[in-house]
Amino acid sequence: MNRRRFLKGAGLALGWLGAARWLPARAQADAQVPSVEDVQDLENLNKGLKEALGITFDRLEPSDKVRIGAPKIAESGANVPVEVSVDLPPAEIKGLHCFVDKNPFPHLFTTEFGSKSAEAYFATRIRIAETAPIRIVVETRDGRYLLASHVTRVTVGGCG
Amino acid sequence: MALILIRTSPRKPKKGETVKLSVVVRHPMEPGTRRDEEGNLIPAKYITELEVTLNGERVAFVRPSRGVSANPLFAFKVKAEPGEVRVTFRDTAGETGEKTYQLKVAE
Repeated sequence: MNRRRFLKGAGLALGWLGAARWLPARAQADAQVPSVEDVQDLENLNKGLKEALGITFDRLEPSDKVRIGAPKIAESGANVPVEVSVDLPPAEIKGLHCFVDKNPFPHLFTTEFGSKSAEAYFATRIRIAETAPIRIVVETRDGRYLLASHVTRVTVGGCG
Repeated sequence: MALILIRTSPRKPKKGETVKLSVVVRHPMEPGTRRDEEGNLIPAKYITELEVTLNGERVAFVRPSRGVSANPLFAFKVKAEPGEVRVTFRDTAGETGEKTYQLKVAE
């Protein structure tokens, strides 16, 4: 075996070892993040939906046009980054609303896009009281409510 | 006194390029649920309206609530054009803030 082949083989072997160590760790981290159904609180969410939009959860249509970027696990709930992009022209969106199921005040913000928005994109940082789904509700001009949900596990709550 | 920071990424975009426009406001965003050392509730004080315009036309209008973090960040996407970005806000105490930023583009 020449040096080059040896190095290539060793690199591959190390790579596999690395992957083998990394995969279970990742699977474990995923297992620690509960599913939406496990941590949702529809009663409290409906309170926020009624106040902000006058609707309840059954009006929302889950949609893959709405994408949420947020951490799976947040050390502190006081400052959780949330990034939202919607696969629709901004002009077709009446409002982009954010809710968190278990926050004492479940409606967090509403954003309306103007003519100078290049994309239906918005990012901010939010408070999460305890592990719960973040909900983005996109209200379209034709009267639909598109929904995306993302669970962030919170170690220390952000409302106290 | 509230301080507003405005920046684009990339900092000096090409004309027509989609850029991320970030706004950070120095504001306590008091949710009204926290207590001080003596156990008294700290009254709520948070931003309720924030508007961003580019050359006089609206980029976005945000209605935050007490669920948005202290010193909040708001980011948007715009097509780069030379001119003025203007950010204005109002909070629950009726206090307002305003800041402008000159957006420069590479031709």
